Amino acid sequence: MAVINVTSGSQAVLVLGNTSPLATPGAANSLVVPFMQDITVNATPGTVRYSTLDSTASSAFTTVNENSISLNVLLDEDVFFGSSNTANKVANDGLLTTSINKEEVFFSVAFEGTDSSDYYVSGKGFIGGLAPTASIDGAVWLTPIEITVNGELTKATV
Amino acid sequence: MAIRDDLITQITTNTAFTSNVSVSQELPFESGGSPLYNKNMGTVYVDEQQISVEQLYRTLDQSNVNTTTTTVNAYLSTDAKNEFNDIDTVVANLLIARNAVANTIDSTSDYEIEITDDVITYTFEYNFITV
Repeated sequence: MAVINVTSGSQAVLVLGNTSPLATPGAANSLVVPFMQDITVNATPGTVRYSTLDSTASSAFTTVNENSISLNVLLDEDVFFGSSNTANKVANDGLLTTSINKEEVFFSVAFEGTDSSDYYVSGKGFIGGLAPTASIDGAVWLTPIEITVNGELTKATV
Repeated sequence: MAIRDDLITQITTNTAFTSNVSVSQELPFESGGSPLYNKNMGTVYVDEQQISVEQLYRTLDQSNVNTTTTTVNAYLSTDAKNEFNDIDTVVANLLIARNAVANTIDSTSDYEIEITDDVITYTFEYNFITV
């Protein structure tokens, strides 16, 4: 048992692709999102609460899972606006165009890096929540990103 | 070009209006343990720049973004009993010489005065923060 230390710089990685194989950590032509400040995997079951006359506390039952990935990044020109890539449409179009076109992307969040047997969480969804902001004090462009997951998150190993 | 060079160029331009002040590019500016600006009054001496680096953004892939603070000191001495009549303008122009350095997220300048015997020494400090 041990915590997953992400300070080496190669552990917490977000990978994007227009196909599932392209979005596997370490895959050739996958789009690795650089300059991430933080990333959060939100795996949340929907719930409904209800009250009954015979209980002093509310009860609950689950509905569907509502999953999302949220992160904050320093903008990279190639990743945000796209860079020629015939194999990976997400890398070719960039995050902004992919979001504008509402194109579904496949993603993986590597928790331990891209080595064999390293765990990652994958799924598919839509890029949104882009809100690039710049200031003279901040010096660089920053933006939040949210991937609204379409379906379930699945865990796997590299 | 180093920030010190940019600063010297701008200080030279900004003091061109007066014959009371000249600018030296000399380093080091000491002779016999005494600073030359005390010997050559009316000459601006610009010290070597000092640099410190701090982290501005930390990222999970260790592609960190840093800020670099460059500090440059400049010195000007005048005769306390016979100060230039345009010293206020000279000081103001020395302070705004900082604007010549481009691509900074912040630049500041200030000065201190020290009077020793009959010599007034103006010590200017310029700070430039770049990413």
